[in-house]
This record gives sequence, structure tokens and C-alpha cells, in this order.
Amino acid sequence: MTQVANKVETRGLVELKDLKKYFKSPRGTVHAVDGVNMSIAKGTTMGVVGESGCGKSTLGRCLINMHPATAGKIYFDGEDVTGLKGAALHKYHSRAQFIFQDPYSSLNPRYTVQQSISEPLVNERKYSKSEIDDRTVELMKMVGVDMRFRNSYPHEMDGGRRQRVVIARALALDPEFIVCDEPVSALDVSIQAQVLNLLMDLQDQKNLTYMFITHDMSVVRHISDDISVMYLGQLVETSPSKELFIHHYHPYTKALLSAIPSTDIHHKMNRIVLKGELTSPIDPPPGCRFASRCMYAEEKCLEPQVLEEVTPNHFVACCRVHEVNEDL
Amino acid sequence: MSEDKFLKVEDLNVHYITTEQDVFAVNGVSFEMTRGKTLGLVGETGAGKTTIARAILGILPNPPAKVMGGKIYFEGKNIFELSEKEMLDIRGNKITMIFQDPMTALNPVITVGEQIAEVVELHNGGDKAAAKNRAIEMLETVGIPAERYVEYPHQFSGGMKQRVVIAIALACEPSLLLADEPTTALDVTIQAQVLELMKELNEKNDTTTILITHDLGVVAEMCDEVAVIYAGQIIEHGSLEEIFDYPMHPYTNGLFGALPSMKEDENDTRLHPIAGLPPDPTQLPEGCYFSPRCPYATEECRHGDIPVTEIRPGHQIKCIHPQEVK
Repeated sequence: MTQVANKVETRGLVELKDLKKYFKSPRGTVHAVDGVNMSIAKGTTMGVVGESGCGKSTLGRCLINMHPATAGKIYFDGEDVTGLKGAALHKYHSRAQFIFQDPYSSLNPRYTVQQSISEPLVNERKYSKSEIDDRTVELMKMVGVDMRFRNSYPHEMDGGRRQRVVIARALALDPEFIVCDEPVSALDVSIQAQVLNLLMDLQDQKNLTYMFITHDMSVVRHISDDISVMYLGQLVETSPSKELFIHHYHPYTKALLSAIPSTDIHHKMNRIVLKGELTSPIDPPPGCRFASRCMYAEEKCLEPQVLEEVTPNHFVACCRVHEVNEDL
Repeated sequence: MSEDKFLKVEDLNVHYITTEQDVFAVNGVSFEMTRGKTLGLVGETGAGKTTIARAILGILPNPPAKVMGGKIYFEGKNIFELSEKEMLDIRGNKITMIFQDPMTALNPVITVGEQIAEVVELHNGGDKAAAKNRAIEMLETVGIPAERYVEYPHQFSGGMKQRVVIAIALACEPSLLLADEPTTALDVTIQAQVLELMKELNEKNDTTTILITHDLGVVAEMCDEVAVIYAGQIIEHGSLEEIFDYPMHPYTNGLFGALPSMKEDENDTRLHPIAGLPPDPTQLPEGCYFSPRCPYATEECRHGDIPVTEIRPGHQIKCIHPQEVK
């Protein structure tokens, strides 16, 4: 590494400092990601949950520089990777990869499975043809796609197998970090379970670090070590996964968890049905963004909220957190 | 003929026929419903759930869809023997449907109010003023202020659009509601609002509902009875308690096993997916359609017709080797 001088002491493999991403629109500025701090330790999975439009996909895309950040810093393995360009970005992408939600549109329809998987290797321009072939075979074995599919096109395969091909392509350059954006949302439950198992096995084998973006709370609970709950561009609660499902302190997290339809027909949870819907992320007021739907909101919620460590490693951004939760 | 049951489907077979191949979408589905109950049709993509609903409403796209056999009795009459004019009177009036995707179910160039009023007008003899009043009433019932009558679908969010779709479906107070994945396109907190609303309206109007979904959580929340569909057949059918407490079919058990658990004491880190893939509906296997993926399958399972047996009171199963997993 030539940039040792710039190295910053960080706890996690991936570290975000006050990351912001704004989009200009005719009606004002969309605050898609608005001041996110996060640390993802090596070999762990950070689950990012929230409803559509909360900025979770934008956050993931910022991390691999698909969207340039508006403000804030992204550190990867101690190096500042914010706004990288050209060869430096190319090098970063060999260590940080992305899996998209929809395996139907993230594969080139005119590439065979073999061409799709080997594309990142070919682009590196340093491997011989036989090396590329060997590596492709190895990758197909790794993700469990049978060799008879090597010359198949995406439309000839089912969704689960397509997502495996996408995963193989993401693994081609042996990355350390993968942003997975809703990787199983388009799949049926029985196939979803196969892909989740594969992702977890690969993590064990290669000590991979994941950011796992999803709206499905049961999936995120299953796969994550830590969970961050997002609401309109900001983190409202972040905590180790096990802890979050036992103690959730932010009013939004409470409502979100209670809204999940449970398969347990004998123990019904008390459901908090929220009034209203996500407010607009265009030029939002400075206070708590959840206040307009929150049943505990009062005057002081109109002030900006900060993440407070309520119990070890468990952060909540709510000024009334101690009043609302008797057990704190 | 059975007239005591409100809805009775008998040995329904639907194929999609094209010049290249025949797709066996629904293969001998039978069930009955009493008034006021909610039946959940559960199954994976391509299992034939939507085809069953469309057959009941008489809106199968023909060609390529063709009803190859079977009868559907609605209020004692076989709907396949009704004329198109008679069906028009039932469709949208007595039987209505909520479609999965609210973004495409609404007409983008007609105001939401007019879209609700249109349905009412078609079935009340053309009284425009009464239709408009009813439309306003329905908007308020689903929690949308009356002044938004004149707005267009693009001015509403996804959850609100789905509420408009529900308002259209319920405007004529149908006795049978077919809800095809009504909340799949919505976020969980909005889904909770919409499910709550559907439950409330169904109870108020004593509507009979067939709820199509792949989400077992939604089924647990909404249904009295459950039918599990695999490759166009009902493989297990019973009350909600029977199916959730005593699932017997290896496929049903597989579905429950594949779900990530929300229980706090669950430390098992691996999920248990069902091996393999659903069969190609153009080339269904012989015998039990699940047998190629079934860990309990024997030689017997691979031949002939698998009978439906009543394994416990009110709990039917199409399987030779039912498994009790507890």
C-alpha cells in the first residue's frame, strides 16, 4: 500500500463518518442519506433495514462509490476511499463488491453464465485464458451452479440460479467486502433459504464482510451480527442483532417490528399501527423525521436528534428514549 | 348439486395451450367455502394460485388459457354455464378481485374517485349521483379524505393506491372477494394498515374472502382456513390451527422449515431449504408432483393418482407418507 501515510485508525473494516448523499430535484434537495455514522467489523454482517425510500440502497451504493458522496467520509481498511476515481477506484472494486436485488436485470442477457462470471477477471487484464477458465469453474462450484449451465443464458435459468451466478461474479476477484442489496427479495422462500445458506457459508469460508440491505426483518435477523434501522436517510437505532429483537427502544423500531405478520398463531403480538406514511425526504425539517407519525412526539422532538448509547453498543436517536422506555 | 355451500370448486383443470406446449396450470382442484370465512391459498410462484382466482371470476385470458374440466358453483349456480351477460352482473358486483400491483391496477388518466364511481354505476342501473356519493363514502371508509376524489393515481403513494383498489373492490359490497397478494408490493408498516382495514371491512360486511399469498405470516394473521398449492394441486387443506400446528405434508413442512425464524430462542444458524426446484408445468412428473423433491418418497409415490385422505377431522392431505413434525 502506498497510501500508508493517510491511514486512519479505525475499528471496523468499513467505517462511515457523517456520510451524506443529496440529490437535486426540481422540487428541492432530496436528503437520501443524511449524516450516517457506521462501523462494520471484519468478518461480520451489518444488516440495514427500513422501508422503501428510506435511503438504504443509496447508502449501499455510496459505499462502493457508485454514487459519489455529497459530504462525509468512507474508510475502507483504514484508507479514505471517498470519491476515488480511475485506477484507484478500480482497485477498490476488486476488494469491495455489490450484489443487486434483481437477478433478472443485473445479468447481461446476451452473456452466457461463463461470460458473466469471467467478465471481472477478463477486465483485470492480467490473467491468461486458462487461468480465467479454471477460476470460472471454481466459482461455479463454489456457488453450486452445475457445469452444464456454463453456456446457458440468463433467460434459460430460474431466479435462484441466476442469483447464484450474480454471487459468483461478485466473488470473482476475491473481495473482502460485499454490499448485498435485497439479494433474496425476488425469490420464493424455499429458494431464498438456499441462497441465504450459500451467503453464510461463503462468509465462514472466506471471512467475508457483508452489508446486507433488506426490508425483511426475519431475513435480517437470521443473517446479521449487527442491525441498523434507517428512517428517511438517518439511522434511528443500531445494535447487535440479538439484542435488537429483545430490546428495541426507538418508537419507529417498535412499530416496524410489531408490524411483521407472525407465523405464530397462538401468541399474538400487540400491534402498533402507525398513522400516516413516510414524509417527504425533500428539504426535511431539522427535527426528528419520525415525529409526524410518532405517538410520543412533543415539542423537543423538533430539535435535531443524536444517536445516544443507551446500553453497551446499543444506540438510539430519540430524545424521549428514557421517558418512553421504562426499562432504561 | 350442492347448494348448501356458498362456493364450491369441483375438480378444476386449467391448461395454457400454445402452439409449442401445454402448461398444466391447475390440475384437479376441489374445495368448498362457507359464507363469511377467509381461505388462504398458499404456494410458490407458478403454483397456479392466481389461475384459480381468475377462473372463479371468469377472467382467464382465452386463448391461451382453457378450462379443461371441472365445475365452479357460486351460490348454487355453475358459473361455467352462465352467459357472458349473466357473468357481467356477478363480476365486480358479487365477486370482486384485488390485484397484486396497485401501480398497474389503476387507470393513470382517470381520477381515483371516478374509477370507484364507474364500478358502482355499472351495477346500480346508471345512477351517476348515487354512484358518486357511494365513491366518496368508500374513499372515507378506506381512510382517504373525500377531497382527494379528483386526484389521479400518480398523486398517491403505494399504500394509498392499494386502498383505492380495495375501495373499488368493495364498493358494491361483494359477497366473495378474491385478494391476490394484496399487500405484497407494500412496506410492512403500510401492510399492517391495509390488512387491518381489510379485516375490519370483511367483518362488517360478512364478506367471504380467498386470500392468495406466499407469506405464511399474512395467512396466520388473516385466515380461517388454509389450502397449500403445489404444481396446480391442493396438497394440504384444513383449518388455520390444523395446518400451522400439525402440518403433515412434506412440502408444507418444507415451507415452514425454509422460513427464517423470528423466535428468540432459535439458535440454529442454518435454514432448511427444500431441495431442488418446482416441476416444469409443461412436463409434470408421474404420481405425486412433489415426489422428485421429497425426502420420504417411495416407489409407490411415483405412480398413479395420489388419493386425498382426511388425516384428522377437517384436515385433508394428498400424500401417502404424511409426516408429523413437532
